[in-house]
Amino acid sequence: MRHVLFRLEKDRYALPLSSIREVVVAPDTFTRVPRSPKAMKGVMNLRGRVVPVVDLRELLDVAPGPVGGPGRVVLLDRGRRELGLLISEVDGIESLEKIGPPAPKASLAVKGLARLGAIPVTVLDPDALDATVARAFTTK
Amino acid sequence: MAKKVLVVDDSVFMRDIIKDIFAAGGFTVVGEAGNGVEAVEKYKELKPDLVTMDLVMPYRNGIDATREILRGDNKALVVMCSALGQETMVMEAIEAGAVDFIVKPPRAEDVLAVVKKVLGEA
Amino acid sequence: MAGPSWDTSRYLTLFSGEATEHLEALGKDVVSLEKGATVALIDSMFRHAHSVKGMAASMAFEGTAKLAHLLEDLLGTLRADVARSNASVADVILQTVDSLSGHVKAAAANEPLPDSTALMTRLSELNASMTGRPATPTAPSPAPVVETAPPPPKSTSAAPPASNPAAPPRFSVKLKINPASNQPGVRGFLAYKRLGTLGNVFDLKPPLDDIKAGRVPQGTITLELETDQTEDAITRTMRTVADVELESIAAIVKAAPVVAAPAEVDPNRVVGQEPARTIRVRTEVMDQFLDQAGELLLATSRVRELSRGMPAAQRPPLDEAVDRLHLLVKGLHDKVMQARMTPIAVITDRLPRAARDIARRRNRDVDLVITGEDIELDRAIVDELADPVLHLLRNAIDHGLEPTEERTAANKPPKGKVTIAVRRLRDRVVFELSDDGRGIDVERVKVLVVERGLLTRDQVTALTERETLMLVCLPGFSTAADVTDISGRGVGMDAVRRAVEQVGGTLEIETRAGRGTSFRLSLPLTVAVVNLLLVGVGDEVYGLPIGKVSGVVETARDRLAMSQNAPVLQFGQSVLPVHELSALLEVPGDARTAALVPFVVVDGDDGRLALAVDRLLGQQEVVLKGLSKPLDLVPGLAGVTILGNGQPVFILDVARLVTA
Repeated sequence: MRHVLFRLEKDRYALPLSSIREVVVAPDTFTRVPRSPKAMKGVMNLRGRVVPVVDLRELLDVAPGPVGGPGRVVLLDRGRRELGLLISEVDGIESLEKIGPPAPKASLAVKGLARLGAIPVTVLDPDALDATVARAFTTK
Repeated sequence: MAKKVLVVDDSVFMRDIIKDIFAAGGFTVVGEAGNGVEAVEKYKELKPDLVTMDLVMPYRNGIDATREILRGDNKALVVMCSALGQETMVMEAIEAGAVDFIVKPPRAEDVLAVVKKVLGEA
Repeated sequence: MAGPSWDTSRYLTLFSGEATEHLEALGKDVVSLEKGATVALIDSMFRHAHSVKGMAASMAFEGTAKLAHLLEDLLGTLRADVARSNASVADVILQTVDSLSGHVKAAAANEPLPDSTALMTRLSELNASMTGRPATPTAPSPAPVVETAPPPPKSTSAAPPASNPAAPPRFSVKLKINPASNQPGVRGFLAYKRLGTLGNVFDLKPPLDDIKAGRVPQGTITLELETDQTEDAITRTMRTVADVELESIAAIVKAAPVVAAPAEVDPNRVVGQEPARTIRVRTEVMDQFLDQAGELLLATSRVRELSRGMPAAQRPPLDEAVDRLHLLVKGLHDKVMQARMTPIAVITDRLPRAARDIARRRNRDVDLVITGEDIELDRAIVDELADPVLHLLRNAIDHGLEPTEERTAANKPPKGKVTIAVRRLRDRVVFELSDDGRGIDVERVKVLVVERGLLTRDQVTALTERETLMLVCLPGFSTAADVTDISGRGVGMDAVRRAVEQVGGTLEIETRAGRGTSFRLSLPLTVAVVNLLLVGVGDEVYGLPIGKVSGVVETARDRLAMSQNAPVLQFGQSVLPVHELSALLEVPGDARTAALVPFVVVDGDDGRLALAVDRLLGQQEVVLKGLSKPLDLVPGLAGVTILGNGQPVFILDVARLVTA
């Protein structure tokens, strides 16, 4: 299956291409969401639509590195709505077929581990990712 | 073809009872929702022939959800599920566009009679 | 009511699981109750008890249902006057919760239910002592009989088609409600509403209020229905209402022969009203109507809140009066929304002139054909569309239509044609602007998008034609005059799309090479418009619905009085609790150095309170957007809007902000 490959700091991640609506450059500022979990970056105005954006580093407990560029927002297609994921950089589209089990302590949003040559890639599950965000709100 | 039904109630228990009534009556329950917000989303996604809608639910009550569903599809058939004592709310739901109502606890023959009427099958 | 008609044992596990959850939550609430009673807390307890009652009744556990019902009653009384909660009341509630848990456990184990007669007596006595009413259940006091005028005609438009001056026929209708029906009042109301969709109801007996209160002698309702539908259609409609039988129907007045129907009938209009009688109303007055109707809605809910503080004995009639008031005010609000409907002609009327001017400047010749301009939309939407529509027209003439010589060479009539067609499609209005020009060069759009660095080559190749066309709406797609020379468009297209989406509409583009392009706007009929007070907290902006704002006081923090170690604000005769909005919202505010701080006085569920903010940013009328997942999980948010500068701003639900 074709996946979009992207980076959170130095680590490589992937999401199925079919689950992604588009990728946009992150805006300079987000409107903060009150009473939201730390991983909630805020909302952005995407051509007249208000889209919630999650900082994927916070959600997956990836240690933040030195401040880089503005980052990108991957827009997950959730039917009638969208969920934005703030990431560091998009690497491209690759076919990932063999997906092994996730690391023992991985987040529930992780589907498994794949390899691209020698590089390990963490494959995420879009549905579980969405559910993890909702859970972060309710258990805050 | 069996008619498609969306069952909305915040109680899993109530949903199961209603789902079984529909299954026994030859309907297909295509989805269920536990609150009004989910109900509106599921309606848009599943486009059922009929919705049964609880009145009191978290996040968005059944009346507002009915209104929202009808705003997206003014031909939507929404049947309210109410308890005795909720007459005023049921009437408000009818004002909002609900086509009929059933009274909890739901009895199979009552539910099916109302639903078939609404769908023009009786 | 007869017992359930299904095999209850199949649901036993579910029942015991879910009932146990409710009872555990209820138990937790009792612990909180001992720390202090609030309406929200009792509401929560009430809901749990109510759920348990419903489930137990469904399983035919009569004793359990009865016990839960008595608990619900007690909580209902307590909700009206939370101050009556005390340790001994909490004890009884806890005891009932324990007993209910015992019931559920016994049920799950298929054992006989425990006997809770003593506890039931204790509950009803306690409730009686709090309400001052006898412990035996009494019938609710009869509702005051209110004579009502016949319902207003179902018209939604002031101008009926002039071609049908005859009044529609009337039918005399007799309905019978099934005596076994659970809620005859609601059944009757439903039948009345359903007939109302066919035309106008007159001479309703019994009056609507009696029907709603369930006072329908012998279950018989008679009325006259004025409608252009056939007797058969009425019969068919009534057949879709369960438990109500159409006993008889007869035509009263022979209909005058209907003059040939107009070619395009607006489905929103009721055929055959009296000849048009219209008056002009200034738009500001219409805006004020809407504002005041909105205020009335809020005032009504305020009365409802106040009624909670009344002694329980006075509540049933009061509640019924408030319910009725609420229905009336909502009816008024709907009517005002209808009255705001404005024909789209308000903006299309000026277009022929504009088209001529634009065409002349470009040395072109154009025919503009407009249809459906009498179709109506909310004034706010019509206002919002004026500029986008002009943009679309200018683009069509500037870039869509070819120069005359090019048209002649392509075997097209030398004069270009732009069509604007407006039509109703269910509950939306479709506005379509089409030209018969050269069409948009989809490949050229792709090249431009890549050249301008908006998308990569790979991204562009993956797009469908429809998606590619939408790229002309990207901000930055066209920034300079260069597009004038190519067949791409883009001048202000991002603004057009934004405006359309702002009012809850969608934009679609269709093009055929050499044949032309059409822009289709699908618009809602009405919008949810709210008036906001915008306030600044730190770097953020929030909107407070103006209807909930009672006033603003600017004062220094150190001049606030203290009560029980918490700051309070003197406002008129009252002293209000002060909340820092930044703390409620969990967002950082300004460093507290400002000499004067604005305190916004708002109406919460439990009375007024003051919110300290960093800045007042003024009032604005905005279109409310609903919240999608996961934002709908945040308590205290009512919606979101996008300000003129493109910034998303959350609208706060003040009452839930302090309780949740």
